[in-house]
Amino acid sequence: MSTGNELARDAATVETHAVDQPDDSVSPATLALIDAYLGDHPGGAERLIPVLHRVQEELGYLPHPVIKAIAERLGISPIQAYGVVSFYHFFTTVPRGRYQLKVCMGTACFVRNANSVLESIRDTIGLEVGGVTKDRLFSLEQVRCLGACGLAPAMMVNSEVHGHLTRTAVRKLLQGLRAKARQKRAAGEADGE
Amino acid sequence: MSEIAPVAAPLDRRALAELRVRLADGLHARAGEATAKAAPRELLVCAGGACISCHSIAVADELESALAAGGLAGEVRVVRVGCMGLCEAGPLVVVSPDGVYYQKVDREGARRIVAEHLGAGRVVRDLELAWDSPDGRRLTGREVPFFAQQVKIALRNCGVIDPAAIGEYVARDGYLALEKALFELSADDVVAALKESGLRGRGGAGFPSGMKWQFVREAPGDEKFAVCNGDEGDPGAFMDRSLLEGDPHSVIEGMTIAGRVTGAHRGFVYVRAEYPLAIERLDNALAAARAAGLLGEDILGSGFAFDIEIRIGAGAFVCGEETALLRSIEGKRGTPQPRPPFPAQHGLWGKPTLINNVETWASVSPILLRGAKWFAAIGTGRSKGTKVFALAGAIRNTGLVEVPMGISLRTIVEEIGGGIPNQRRFKAAQSGGPSGGCIPAAAADVAIDYESLQELGSIMGSGGLIILDDHTCMVELARFFLEFLVEESCGKCPPCRIGTRVMLNLLERITKGEAVPEDLDTLEALGRHIQRTSLCGLGQTAPNAVLSTLRHFRAEYDAHVLEGRCPAGQCKALLTYTIAAESCSGCALCAKACPSGAITGEIKHVHTIAQDLCIHCGACLSVCPTDAVEAV
Ligand SMILES: Cc1cc2nc3c(=O)[nH]c(=O)nc-3n(C[C@H](O)[C@H](O)[C@H](O)COP(=O)(O)O)c2cc1C
Ligand code: FES
Repeated sequence: MSTGNELARDAATVETHAVDQPDDSVSPATLALIDAYLGDHPGGAERLIPVLHRVQEELGYLPHPVIKAIAERLGISPIQAYGVVSFYHFFTTVPRGRYQLKVCMGTACFVRNANSVLESIRDTIGLEVGGVTKDRLFSLEQVRCLGACGLAPAMMVNSEVHGHLTRTAVRKLLQGLRAKARQKRAAGEADGE
Repeated sequence: MSEIAPVAAPLDRRALAELRVRLADGLHARAGEATAKAAPRELLVCAGGACISCHSIAVADELESALAAGGLAGEVRVVRVGCMGLCEAGPLVVVSPDGVYYQKVDREGARRIVAEHLGAGRVVRDLELAWDSPDGRRLTGREVPFFAQQVKIALRNCGVIDPAAIGEYVARDGYLALEKALFELSADDVVAALKESGLRGRGGAGFPSGMKWQFVREAPGDEKFAVCNGDEGDPGAFMDRSLLEGDPHSVIEGMTIAGRVTGAHRGFVYVRAEYPLAIERLDNALAAARAAGLLGEDILGSGFAFDIEIRIGAGAFVCGEETALLRSIEGKRGTPQPRPPFPAQHGLWGKPTLINNVETWASVSPILLRGAKWFAAIGTGRSKGTKVFALAGAIRNTGLVEVPMGISLRTIVEEIGGGIPNQRRFKAAQSGGPSGGCIPAAAADVAIDYESLQELGSIMGSGGLIILDDHTCMVELARFFLEFLVEESCGKCPPCRIGTRVMLNLLERITKGEAVPEDLDTLEALGRHIQRTSLCGLGQTAPNAVLSTLRHFRAEYDAHVLEGRCPAGQCKALLTYTIAAESCSGCALCAKACPSGAITGEIKHVHTIAQDLCIHCGACLSVCPTDAVEAV
């Protein structure tokens, strides 16, 4: 089951662990989120996947201490919860970029040259599948079919689908996002002063 | 014609009947059916996933402001409907009841439709969807073969109703089949009707649905479940997504009927996380059905209780397999279980569970309303009714189509699909996703049904139909599918976990030109072993892509292995790269990109590739701005 994708992800894990998870604590806000969800949805261990979805939606990823806290509350062993997190591609234990690029490598996109989309991303922002840019602006994953085959080749940026992509369209899109982020940062800094 | 006001109190049967009468004409008109009274003018905007990505919501907003500016806001309503099917031409706008279709509408187009069509009463010809027929006529609207050749049962409301308006679903005889099942028919009547209709599961395996319902009905146990499989993991498939987005109530109604028949009081719809819009629309539809008293305790005063919850997948292909899906709903890793016992006896939390595919659920109500005989009259000997296909790949009209079983692949590709673009040749169609196989162009006249596809070494599958042209290398395609399956194998049984990996290694050798002739025999033998010995459907069907391409395209494999040549020109390692002197601008981008320093030349002069240094990576090909690099 080990693919280039996962290897790259593992490498990323090593890199970010030290930075982001200095200790075992979970923020009170996250605990409150978990407890609120579980309070609203009475039940047993079958709530594991929905609560993981809820937390990842909020945090962008699932830090290990959070998984442990969820397992405790559901009365299952942490290893059972990790097992579920690692089984499903959607869950991630490393932070992603602000813009999550998900390039479709489904059949329709493959037949319409989805490889060129990946190549163009690599050429424009130097990102390989499974990677995150240093500024955490972009992360790149490949997914299998976005269900937008009519628009092949397609990619998702966060929850928005972009279709009929060409090398140039990809380049322009990424440059646009980067410029937008730069503007925001500039505006934010001005605000802070 | 406004939708029913958001229902605060549960509706009774009389209120439903009134709604049907009140809204029927407008909705018939939208679907192009005859009406008793003149229907009001409406603008239907496709708000399916693909059209939304092409900014159809902005088009709908623009239409509304143009209507307001033109003083037409009170007369003409804009309706955001589900997928109309012709995704290629999106965003689509239809003027009802005129039946005029506009394609690729942008904001300016929206203003022109309001000004010219509605204002001046003149069709905007250059935006109108129109095809030339072989005899030179200009076909428009529903005459266009893409629409004319289809028969819509599961998709009957997609592109017609506003999925957020439960009243519109009701007006299309929605929840009438549920009323019938609650008040007129016995559970045995419903099962008998499904059996007689010949409906078979649309999720892949084609198991007779009536029989499955009967098993669950007869299974002992006081707690049972109904589950909708909306995992749609096959890459290249978007039928279930479009149905859930465009007509969520049809699934809710089918499941509720099943609850009544089998004695289940809880249902689950399992939807992939990649489909946020489908989840949102289904969630809204569930809330609307509850508010209207069509879900919950005492449905329509019958005393029967049923409710449905959504479960969101988390990106594992194998969770489309029914036993894995049930494990996933239980909150566990989605590893498949050996069958028997089947879910009908031992399903969710060990209880009898009826699991059907989205399209299967959506087909239930029309059968109960229009009769089993009507349904069984469509299709072939053992495959009845219609099938929804997601048409994609090298085809002019990508989109969603519903066709009668028994239609030929040629009709789908040439008439509905509009043929192959870019003057290329139709080579094969891939059906059934990673579990399926390829149907060669030579078999294009075979009547498509469950049996004929199986004979050709493919399967009906859930409905993904990828059209391939002569630029697709079949070996590379097989490698693509195997790579997918290696990644998605859950790892529980060795034939699948290890066998598919070994097959992938062999295919990689072939596409790199490193294979020996015996490798082809090994591939075939290994494939047969994996088929026989794997635990679940994933492994049992994993070799199909390889075996079917080996069977129909053996010469292409031989060309790779014996001659070191890729006839389709796709396998980079087997291509020879040269620079055409007449198109080279001397920009030197290729020389910069070449990792092995094989390209030399002066700036502004023709460059050349030293074949002995070339490592066949294709980098020069992808950077050349003037397409001067040729690969053969
Ligand atoms: C690997 C694998 C993947 C599957 N994926 C799906 C799927 O995405 N959607 C689906 O409806 N059925 C899928 N199935 C088929 C289901 O196991 C099951 O047959 C189906 O949900 C039954 O519903 P039906 O009788 O209405 O077709 C898959 C089967 C296998 C072996
Ligand atoms: S294959 Fe890319 S969206 Fe379906």
